[in-house]
Order: sequence, then C-alpha cells, then structure tokens
Amino acid sequence: MIRINHILKEFFRNLYRNPGTAFGGFLSMALLFVLFDLFWIAAGTSDRFYDELLSDLKMEVFISEGVSDSSLAATRQAVASIPGIRETEYISKSDARRELETLVGIDLLIGYDTVNPLPRSYIVSFEPEYLTIDGLTGIEGRVLGVGGVSHVYYSRSWLEKAEDAKRVISEVGIALGVVILLALLISSANNMRLMTRARAVGFEQMRLQGAGGVFLAFPFLIEGLIISVFSAGVGWLVIFYFKDRVDFTRVEIIYPSVDQILLFCAGAAVVGVVSGYLGIRRLLRF
Amino acid sequence: MSDRTVVQLSNVFLKSDRGFEVFKDLNFELQAERSAIITGAAGSGKSLLVELLIGRRFADSGSVEVLGQLLRPRKKRLIKRIRRQIGGVGGIFGLVPSFTVAENITFPLVLAAERKRVQKERLFKMLTEFSLLKQAGTYPDRLTRVEHTLVQLARATVGNQPLVIIDEPLAGLDQKTYQRIYDYMVKLALSGRSMIILSAESLPTDFPNTSRYTIENGMLV
Repeated sequence: MIRINHILKEFFRNLYRNPGTAFGGFLSMALLFVLFDLFWIAAGTSDRFYDELLSDLKMEVFISEGVSDSSLAATRQAVASIPGIRETEYISKSDARRELETLVGIDLLIGYDTVNPLPRSYIVSFEPEYLTIDGLTGIEGRVLGVGGVSHVYYSRSWLEKAEDAKRVISEVGIALGVVILLALLISSANNMRLMTRARAVGFEQMRLQGAGGVFLAFPFLIEGLIISVFSAGVGWLVIFYFKDRVDFTRVEIIYPSVDQILLFCAGAAVVGVVSGYLGIRRLLRF
Repeated sequence: MSDRTVVQLSNVFLKSDRGFEVFKDLNFELQAERSAIITGAAGSGKSLLVELLIGRRFADSGSVEVLGQLLRPRKKRLIKRIRRQIGGVGGIFGLVPSFTVAENITFPLVLAAERKRVQKERLFKMLTEFSLLKQAGTYPDRLTRVEHTLVQLARATVGNQPLVIIDEPLAGLDQKTYQRIYDYMVKLALSGRSMIILSAESLPTDFPNTSRYTIENGMLV
C-alpha cells in the first residue's frame, strides 16, 4: 500500500516537476485524437451515405412473352423465395407503358396504340447484406434460373464503382489510423523519455538504494495511461462541443455511440501504457 | 564464510574500463559489528570497491560475498535485496533531487514497504538526531554539503541497515563539521552496525571496533 502511495505520488511529482512536457504531451495527443475522431466520423458518415445510396438499388426481372398470366404467380413466388430478395413488385405491360409515357411523353408512342411490345417484369429489392457485387451476382444467377425469366437488369457498373470507392475509403482509413496510432505512440513515448532523462540522476540514486525497474517505471506507465485517456476524452469533448455549432443540412453526420467512445478511450489507455513502456524501457534494464 | 561475516572478498581481480588492472588478488573480510577504515590515494580503487560491494560492477575473477550472498551478474533480485540492506553515504551515493529531505530519508522504508506510522516515527527520530527538522521539506539543491552528508547518514541508518558504506566522509570539511560527522560515525560504530569507511586521508586512531587497511598496488594491506 505504501508503495502504491509512493508510485501515485511519483506520478503527480512527474507532472508537477515537468508541467511543460506533460502539457505538451497532452496537447499533441489530444490533437492527434481529434484528428482520429474526425476521420472516424467521416468514415462512419460516408459509410451510412453509401448504404443509403445502395438501399435504392433495385433489379428488374423481365418475364418471357411466352409465360401466361396464370403462371405469373408461380414465377413471382419462385423469384421471391430466393435468399436476399426482400420484395417483388409486379409491373404489367400497361404499367410499363404508363411509366414510359411518363418518361418520354406520348408523341414517341404514336403507332403503338394497340400494340404494346414492352415486357412484363418484377422490380426486386434486396436485403441490405446482399447489396454487394458478389451478393447481386449470386442472386442474378438464381433469378435467371427461374423458369419464365428472360433477362435481368440492374446498375452493375455503378455498384462496382461504389464498391471501389468504399474500399478506397476503407483502405485510406486504415492507413491513416495506423499512421495516427504510430504518431501517438512515438509522441507519447518521447514525452516519457524526456521526463525520465530529466530525472536520470534521481533514478540512479533510487537504484542504488535497491529500487527495481518496475518500481521506477510504474509511475510513468500510469502517467501514459492517464494522459492518453484524458487526451482521448478531451478530443471527444472538443468534437461534441462543435457538433451543435456546425450545421450540415445535406448530409447526416454519424457520430459513434457512447459505448464505442468508451471502448475507444479504453483503447487509448492501452496505447498510453504501451507508449509509457516504450518511453521508459531503458529504465527497466538493470 | 562464518555467520558473523558481513563482507568477504576473495582473490578479487578487476580491470578498470580502460583496461588498467585495479585489483590484483584482493582479499578482505569484515565481521558483524566491526568497522573497516580503508585508505588509499585517489585512483587507488576505493570507489570501484564500493561498486563491487553493491553489485554495480562485478569482479573479473574471485568472489564477492555481502551479507551472506554471493554477488553475481544477472542476479538482479538478489542485488536489489542486498542494496536495500546497505546504507550508502558519499561517493556514488547521493540524494534523489526530486525528493524532499524527509522523502530521501524514508525512501529505504518505502522500499521495505514499512507502515506509514513506522515511517513517520523513524523519520522524526532521524530528523531530531541529525538536527534536520527545519530542512524536512527542503529539496537537496537547497542544502549545504554538510546537510547533504547528514541526510545521507540518516537515510543510511533509518532502516537499521546492517552494513553502512561511507565514501570520503570528511574530505574538505571545516574542523567543527568534521567533528560533528566524525562523532556520528563513532556513534554508528558503537551501535553495533558494520561499517566500511573509505577515505583518502587517514582517520583518527581512536575509532572504535575498527580494522584499518590501505589499498596499495591493487591489494588491501
């Protein structure tokens, strides 16, 4: 217990004796955390935006001319039972014609008053987890296997581009996350190293009295942990302070949940301890 | 090594960092409740001897036993334990600059995980004994040289350490201060502790329970 008191006292002594280094460390870490938070929010927002765009994606399933109206129910049932398909909406020839009239006007349809060459179709919507190239390719194959289906259409090239964009965002996110994490580790470890150097004489004396490496290093591990968690917390406070002061009317900004932020702070604590260890590892050598 | 032997150096050979042979077949034994005054010229190896005794340096050959334990490299725990039982004054032993006088004195008790009450009692005793009550909250950079030495002496004895090593305790002191420190060392010698005093100058001959040695040509004579 006495040792724990001493270790805690040492932690505050470090802050008291080297306030500039501690404050500099806190500030640089808080800035890096804010940067990380902003990128996290941007990634979450773009993800939601992408999901909303994809949720509008539908497939048109065209029915062969030879299929009788009485067989349509069976065809529709077969299509609807394919895993990943959420809803099917039937478009009759006359519905298709009305749709076409809405799109191109009646002038172009002169001469087709009695003849309607437009095919019957189903407009199919999907479960969110199937809204990928692989998912839709699988569904396309199974739909084409249903008797009476002539062909299908959906915006495959758009989906490919959207998936590419999402992958690039995710890769850049990971790379930036790693860079920020490294910067955090190096910055924090350097602060610890500065503090240990400032107290090198004292450490040597404590060693001569029989203090062990862990005894000497522990206050710095605590310091790394507390400064890191505090910086992470302050980073989020800054973000939420500006949340209510900046308006985005076109895009809904997605903020992480409280649980995610708490988990993030726990992660920051681990980063703090690791950086504390990196900063003082020389102390642990006898 | 008998039960009463506190320090035993047998056939110790040691080269300095520059390759100069400092100790050539050094032998030395110190019994419990006895003191040894070791004199030697500057550069004779007095400080290296201290480093050998606290496991900061190891002999090239021969053995160094302190408080019944053979000091060897890589025995970190053992060395830590031994160091906690040795009080050090002067030479390589200094004060921790970021600790107050009171914290410096009680540090051996902190390492020994003594209770707060015990720490306070012993601290008060030491501060009174060494007339350091006014300096209890002072940092070492505000202390005089004599006060430094007194704080180190207090720290070296606060935990009833069985062995006290004092390196150049009286060098350059005025007569009054010399007498004050000397009297305290005599008191320590009479208290039943074992002491090793290293000095470039010879000390008065009336020092109690003492054997005298000189380091000459890498040997203790």
